[in-house]
Amino acid sequence: MDEVLGTATPIIILVVIVALIVAAAIRLGPGFVIKRMAGLVFVLLGVTFITFILGYLSPASPILLQCGEKCTPPLLAHLQQVYGLDLPWYQQYYNFVFRLLHFDLGLSYKAGGRSVVEILNRGIPVSVQLGVMALISQLLLGIPAGIFAARRAGTRVDTGLMSVSLVTFSLPTFVTIPFFQLITVVLSLNHWPHLPLSGWGTPEQMIAPVGILTLVGFGYYARLTRTTMLDVLGQDYIRTARAKGLTDRTVTIRHAFRNALVPLVTAVGPALAFVVSGAVFTESFFNIPGIGFFAANAILSTDMPIVQGTVVVVATTVVLMNVMVDVIYGLLDPRIKVQ
Amino acid sequence: MDIREYGELEEVRQAEGQVGIEPGGLYGGTYGGTYVPATMTPNETLAQEAPTRPEVGTQAREGDDGFTQLAGRSSSPLAAAFRRFLRDWRAVAALAILIVIVAFSFIFPLFYQHMGGRTVGGNLGNRPIGPEQYHQFDFNDLSHPGMNGTIISVTFTPPFVQFHFGGPDAAFHPLGSDSLGRDILARLMAGVSISIELAIVVELFDVGLGLLFGTLAGWYSGWLGFILDRFTDVMFAFPGLLLIILMGATLGPVFDDKFKPIVGPIYSRIFLLVLAIGLLAWPLMMRFVRGSTLQLKEQQYVEAARVSGTPNRKIIMRHVIPNLMNVVIVASTLSVLGTIIGEAGLSALGVGIRPPGSSLGLMISDGLGDLYILPGEVLWPVLVLIIIVVCLSFIGDGVRDAFDPRTKD
Repeated sequence: MDEVLGTATPIIILVVIVALIVAAAIRLGPGFVIKRMAGLVFVLLGVTFITFILGYLSPASPILLQCGEKCTPPLLAHLQQVYGLDLPWYQQYYNFVFRLLHFDLGLSYKAGGRSVVEILNRGIPVSVQLGVMALISQLLLGIPAGIFAARRAGTRVDTGLMSVSLVTFSLPTFVTIPFFQLITVVLSLNHWPHLPLSGWGTPEQMIAPVGILTLVGFGYYARLTRTTMLDVLGQDYIRTARAKGLTDRTVTIRHAFRNALVPLVTAVGPALAFVVSGAVFTESFFNIPGIGFFAANAILSTDMPIVQGTVVVVATTVVLMNVMVDVIYGLLDPRIKVQ
Repeated sequence: MDIREYGELEEVRQAEGQVGIEPGGLYGGTYGGTYVPATMTPNETLAQEAPTRPEVGTQAREGDDGFTQLAGRSSSPLAAAFRRFLRDWRAVAALAILIVIVAFSFIFPLFYQHMGGRTVGGNLGNRPIGPEQYHQFDFNDLSHPGMNGTIISVTFTPPFVQFHFGGPDAAFHPLGSDSLGRDILARLMAGVSISIELAIVVELFDVGLGLLFGTLAGWYSGWLGFILDRFTDVMFAFPGLLLIILMGATLGPVFDDKFKPIVGPIYSRIFLLVLAIGLLAWPLMMRFVRGSTLQLKEQQYVEAARVSGTPNRKIIMRHVIPNLMNVVIVASTLSVLGTIIGEAGLSALGVGIRPPGSSLGLMISDGLGDLYILPGEVLWPVLVLIIIVVCLSFIGDGVRDAFDPRTKD
């Protein structure tokens, strides 16, 4: 964790989170914040327990494998001791949580026994890069599409756009990516210009993964924007704004869209957490060294600590984001009052 | 949007049943690579309101379940929804296509078994081969990987993708065979039927548990409701895909050990998938059911039943559950899509169905290695999966609109 905590960005994020919570505590009273925090602790305990027990139930064959051909009972016992697998389950769970509190996710069964934190540290920046780029382009495509459809609600343009977004949104990435790769292969066999099939780093390599994630994700925001916009456009104050002679554009952007933003914010919050993990297929099909890629590889080699580590990190982020969304929701919507 | 009291924000959200459903939203939608929050979308809600009975009018007559209905319109809400569904041509067309595909993959193998070509040479001699053999690795000498003897095969010879029709009759592979010589059509049919079987079983699991615990949590909203609520919180916090992957990876070997001798390698994997996907799916169903139950509890006819001393169990069975059907139908239609995608995804990662079983996802990941040589190996399963997903999402959309109380007749 040193590497992650050493850079400036996470510290800024932490400060923002704390500032938001303090703001919420001032505006909405400490009771609300305390209640949410208590729920947070409970959920985190549940998440760690389920993750732990699944790893506990899995057969410890990786240890045997690591032990190798010249495995002797004392060596095996030693390895089990190193990984703490000889303890009763409650002790193991205690150790698991205790180590988590110190940002220690254990040692990988493979990869030369490196620590999981080290592996995640390498993956998280790449995944965040991919996820944030994908999220931004999804929003840039989805929100205008939603507004466009809402202003033409009921027309053929609207139903067509919504059908397209429904379809692309339903298609999983492990279908769209092979399809893209087929097309790339055709192009490359014909020596036509084409995008690279895999890798990460250069701008050309980023186009395809981000593009595919945009394609499968924008539909959600398009549909969400459309419904909230339709809801807002039916309000009285919109009629007032129109009656007062404002242009259609001003009404849509200044009056309607700004109010439709609130539900969007609540949707984007958890999405930020999920884009990091959600790209398991994208990362493994494109060989992008993010946490999804490492997790997928770890699954195939039954390297439980890495999988557990990824799940715990992502789930924690999701839970934190949900709390954040509630706080931001309270701060954004002035109609919410303290009891 | 109404004014929300902050302390009750969570409760209000749940009670209003604002857990908007979008296809793929079931597992936090991590399949598509983006998160679909399992929380609310304000307007696009599930048809949550109890089917409103027509007002008691002057021309009212007794309905069959003790409620009065207007004389002119005696159709049940379910029938009305069905009528609305039939008006949505996209959904109906999608349903028709889906039925054809599913029926084909369940029925055609029976005939296909006897249609198999003959092996030429090899250690099998000159005899017919059935599709059940096409699944076996050790029969790879019965066919010539690629395009020999196919009705349609695909190659990437420049300048374009080429579809070849016909060919020398080495072995009868209508869509070609994969790099191990397994027949693609046979594997596709097996994959689709496994998906459908799995979806049905998961739905039973999902609806059963969701209805049971949802009504309980809604009706007895004391400590039981609290515990179930926290449980769903925990489940929603997981990145859905990662959780089922984790379950597949850890429990897979356990299931293989326990069930392989009893039900064989394919069904031991199906059990695993049912458990993993079902466990992930039902909390969402429960939350929908709970939300509607909370609303139904406030309805006057339920109150009347309670005042007149009807036991709780009877009220739930007679008045609550029948009115939950719309919620259940909409949510389960959408969750079928999630199940099929989930199975394909898990199999594509190598933790779901495994050879000798066949699955669309497995076929895709198998074929990715041979992209340049045997494009058909990826193309066909991708096409079938796209068709199924598109059909199911149109059906889901149609069903949701049909049950939406705001849709006018």
